[in-house]
Amino acid sequence: MTEPVNIRSLAPGTRIVLEGGAVAEIVSNPADGVWVFARYLSSPDDPARVGSEEMIFAQDIVEIRESS
Amino acid sequence: MSSTRTDGYRPGLVDLKAGQISREIFVNDEIYQEELERLFARVWLFVGHESQIPNPGDFFVSGMGEESVILCRDRADKVHVFLNSCRHRGMKVCRYDDGNTPVFTCPYHGWSYGTDGKLVGVPYFREAYHEKLDKSQWGLVEVPQMSCYKGTVWACWDPAAPSFFEYLGDFVHYLDLTLDGWDGSEGGTEILGGIQKWRIPCNWKFPAENFCGDSYHNISHRSVDLAGIGPSGSGRRDMQERLMARRLQVSFYERGHQTGVYLFPSDRPTPPSYQHSPIVSEYFAYCEEERRRRRGEWARLIGSPGEIFPNTALHPRQPRTIAVWHPRGTHQTEVWRWYMVDKAAPSEVKDFLRDYYIRYSGPAGMTEQDDMENWNYAHAASRGTIARRYPYSYEQGLGYEIETYEAEGLRIPGTVMDITEAKSSEHNLRNLYRRWAEFMETESWDELATWRRAERAAAE
Repeated sequence: MTEPVNIRSLAPGTRIVLEGGAVAEIVSNPADGVWVFARYLSSPDDPARVGSEEMIFAQDIVEIRESS
Repeated sequence: MSSTRTDGYRPGLVDLKAGQISREIFVNDEIYQEELERLFARVWLFVGHESQIPNPGDFFVSGMGEESVILCRDRADKVHVFLNSCRHRGMKVCRYDDGNTPVFTCPYHGWSYGTDGKLVGVPYFREAYHEKLDKSQWGLVEVPQMSCYKGTVWACWDPAAPSFFEYLGDFVHYLDLTLDGWDGSEGGTEILGGIQKWRIPCNWKFPAENFCGDSYHNISHRSVDLAGIGPSGSGRRDMQERLMARRLQVSFYERGHQTGVYLFPSDRPTPPSYQHSPIVSEYFAYCEEERRRRRGEWARLIGSPGEIFPNTALHPRQPRTIAVWHPRGTHQTEVWRWYMVDKAAPSEVKDFLRDYYIRYSGPAGMTEQDDMENWNYAHAASRGTIARRYPYSYEQGLGYEIETYEAEGLRIPGTVMDITEAKSSEHNLRNLYRRWAEFMETESWDELATWRRAERAAAE
């Protein structure tokens, strides 16, 4: 089990890895500790999501991906 | 007493012919519960001021009766009033007093709502709900009626209630005495600083009736008058013009609104005021001149405390404030007081008024402390088994009301009691309870909107 990610401080542009392996980039953060707005960069389970923006639930975020 | 009683108020607990009102309506828990349903769920209530939410995403948490509500401006600049309660399990979705946000997120299970009230975030929507939850049906509960007027925001839970302006009737002209600039400019006011909130151990109707125009209790402010907290260092206010004006109490029988006013003679200039500060004094002298130029004969009227039925108090002049008496149980009231100032006033004037307003009103204000002490102990001393047997007296001025009041060609809307010589009257207080009793006994707005009968008859 991974350590929980504190999403409140994540800035726009931060890349996050979601359960299932999808990667998304934060677009905006309401800082409520529950949701971030993010755009999918990859989505192995559902490739149709790539490029779309969604609200991402904190408990679906498994890690922060360091930008390369 | 049955918890569903809808009779026995007129006459009975509220006997206006005799000028007597039972203490039960102030201290009885079942009557209080009835009030929440029959009164606060059906009337128009003051929620806040647009200047508190100037930008998209701005919000201010307010109250309507016992309900917490969110006043907010959505991304499309539209103003909304929502029940502050998550549709999933009822948790407050906003626990801040005010701020700016893109979403209101419930901290319990995480449901999240846009500033337009739409449900936008549901945790595990795909996994747990299988995308079958119809989000469009689970947005925040929005008030069915809302109205913005000269910056103020009003809302009503009852879709069958008349529009805000029909609810006000001609009383809107008296509301304008609080909302227009001192120079008579339309809606020229804004909120000064934050609002003050505090609780008093008394029924909400004690402060409500006091601000209807209880002119009899000035003796309790005697020490303040002697201390001279007024802005020119004497009395409570700069209102030397009171000495040359006629003092009127004005009631709207069919609506339940009431106010005091001062009516100047047409040929006398307004005496100087705010003489501790030349800048402020000059500003108000200019405003008075402008007001008389803009408003003509109507500028002869100066407002004094009044009330929009049932619990929004107006204090149009020195200090200029709006207060809401939020019910918090039979025996407790939460007061919220907004302070108003001319938008166009110089900063020196606003600063001076801030000091004066705080000195006068609010939980630490010298006059409000006097009032609270009275309401607090009057309520406590009326709760006992023996005390409840004895009604209060509201007999001042009974039978001296004037239906059509005119002075030097100026017709005053409403039913008037001229207290210039009488000194005091309970005319306006009786009006509050007249309307209160009608709401407690009457089932529908068809019956409550009595003015429509006359309009219908005239049309036929």
